Amino acid sequence: MRHPTDPVELEADETEGAPDLLRRALEELRAEIGARFPALAGRAAAPREEGAAAAEWMALFEELRARMNRVGVRERRGEIDEFGMDDEWLRRARPLIGFLFERWWRVEVRGAEQIPAEGGTLLVGNHSGLLPWDGLMVAEAVARAQPRRERVRFLVADWLITQPFAQPWLTRLGGVRACRENAERLIQGGHPVLAFPEGAKGAAKVFRERYRLKRFGRGGAVRVAIESRVPLVPIAIVGGEETHPVLFKLEAAARLVGLPFLPVTPTFPWLGPLGLVPLPSKWTIRFGEPIPLHELAPEAAEDELLVSRLTEELRQRIQAMVDKGVRGRGSTWA
Amino acid sequence: MALPSSIAITGLRTFLGQHLAQRLLGQGPGVNVVGIDLRRPYRFEGRVRWHRVDLTDPTADGTLAEVFERERVEAVVHAAFRSEPTSDLEYDHELETLGSLHVLNACAAVKVRRLVLASSTMLYGARPDNPQFLTEDHPLRGHPAAHGIRNRVEVEELVARYARRHPDAEVTVLRTGWIMGPTYEDHVVRMFSRPVVPTLLGYDPMLQFVHEEDVLRVFERAVLERHPGVFNVVGDGPLPLSTLLALAGKRRLPVPAPLWYRVLDGLSQGSVGDPPAGFYDYLRYGWLADGARAWREFGPPLYTSREAWISFVSSRRMRRYR
Repeated sequence: MRHPTDPVELEADETEGAPDLLRRALEELRAEIGARFPALAGRAAAPREEGAAAAEWMALFEELRARMNRVGVRERRGEIDEFGMDDEWLRRARPLIGFLFERWWRVEVRGAEQIPAEGGTLLVGNHSGLLPWDGLMVAEAVARAQPRRERVRFLVADWLITQPFAQPWLTRLGGVRACRENAERLIQGGHPVLAFPEGAKGAAKVFRERYRLKRFGRGGAVRVAIESRVPLVPIAIVGGEETHPVLFKLEAAARLVGLPFLPVTPTFPWLGPLGLVPLPSKWTIRFGEPIPLHELAPEAAEDELLVSRLTEELRQRIQAMVDKGVRGRGSTWA
Repeated sequence: MALPSSIAITGLRTFLGQHLAQRLLGQGPGVNVVGIDLRRPYRFEGRVRWHRVDLTDPTADGTLAEVFERERVEAVVHAAFRSEPTSDLEYDHELETLGSLHVLNACAAVKVRRLVLASSTMLYGARPDNPQFLTEDHPLRGHPAAHGIRNRVEVEELVARYARRHPDAEVTVLRTGWIMGPTYEDHVVRMFSRPVVPTLLGYDPMLQFVHEEDVLRVFERAVLERHPGVFNVVGDGPLPLSTLLALAGKRRLPVPAPLWYRVLDGLSQGSVGDPPAGFYDYLRYGWLADGARAWREFGPPLYTSREAWISFVSSRRMRRYR
């Protein structure tokens, strides 16, 4: 069977209105084959089954039907996966992402060889900035280090990924609503997944708290890694905190528009939408040594004390990597 | 266990009732098909044994039990539900919730071996905090503003209670996604049949469809064989709304959500029961269901979401040229 996310050839077939006589004949043929070979009805997709002639008829029929169905249908290029990531959009966004990566933030990547070369992986980083630029940049860093690898999916907080315009854009570029079910499904499907366990608390940090990691949720990341038996790669992102330096937060006004917080930065909301343009700080993304959580027995995920201890250790580890990065950099902007 | 020799379908005149009856008759003369509906069936020429029972009647359970007893019914497909939102909320509630209660009482009275309930994945509700794929264990949160959906959630609760109280009955609940195909029609299909489809500005949800053929096949197997449990019946491979409309060569009319909801609420004041605004949440937030369990149980689907959609689109296009 043809899966909708299989790559499809671009066909600009504009001929409309195929004779429905042929269509009806096909439907009758289908019914007849179905009636004569009931066992095959559910197996149309596997034409190479034993049982020969009927299966080939079925395959021929399916082929004809597929062609009939495509008459007048405008095909599109590129795959869309079940989480809505769109290859065509990624291809079109590549120049912009490349510009942000190379020119705007001049991202320096360290330790990319630490990323496991295949299979599901959980990447965990410190969160910063209002918009998930950090997620996009880590995904780009991994894509550059391992071009053959599946693209990294970054988890995005509910409040952001359900906002109008944010929803389609983030989804097409590989953003996924942050929840355990989604993370598990992606990891079990062999995708690298990037989580920011600080969540909205991390994104909403005010400028004077920059690079001080907030509490790591309730240990969800560690638990997912243990249960899905995948290694966990810590990531420190330095530079992200300066893209949208939050001076203070408005809470009452935020409630009015239904957001968890409304930040005031040197440019936002003063410059309107222009104020959302991130500042061009210099970024470093450092990948740490993978933590072999996959070596623990899956039952360990039930051990609340262990999970919370591992989570705190992970937080401290990333904090140490961040501190090292902040101390090691020269100027914030150069 | 042998095939059930006598099968009752409530809601014979619904799409599901009619086509399922047709298929069951194809099983040969050994199968007695009993139809329950207010309206006289057509096209079966007496091969379906039709009983006119009003499910909203307070004594419907007794009448149904009598019919089931007389016809020696071994399996019941409960499909007497509306496929459209209605303005008559009270009748809707009587038919869907109380009607279901009557059917369940009748099943219990004559110890019907097998019960198949037609349900919908819409009952999970379109919520911003849904995971990408809802499994059968996810709670049915419904929609706060949609009356019809709330009734159906109540029906599922009644059926779940029935299954708990009658552990030897085989109860199958089939939650279908939006059905598409050459002949199926309901308000969703009608909305997508227009050349211009209103969408919510800034949202592009992923949608999934299931082909009518796959739905009928699953129902047929669920009533003929033993498949107890709850199953999401949805096609694989969801696609974004924008892609679907582009495939079909349809235009989008993006409207800001707050404005559109207010307009629809205004239009529906006093006329249509279910606020259509509630419906548009289904074009806003994700409510994809995970169909893996059903396809493991019933064999892989013949059509993906995309194929179901294209089958609907191409059949409508041809109809225009007839």
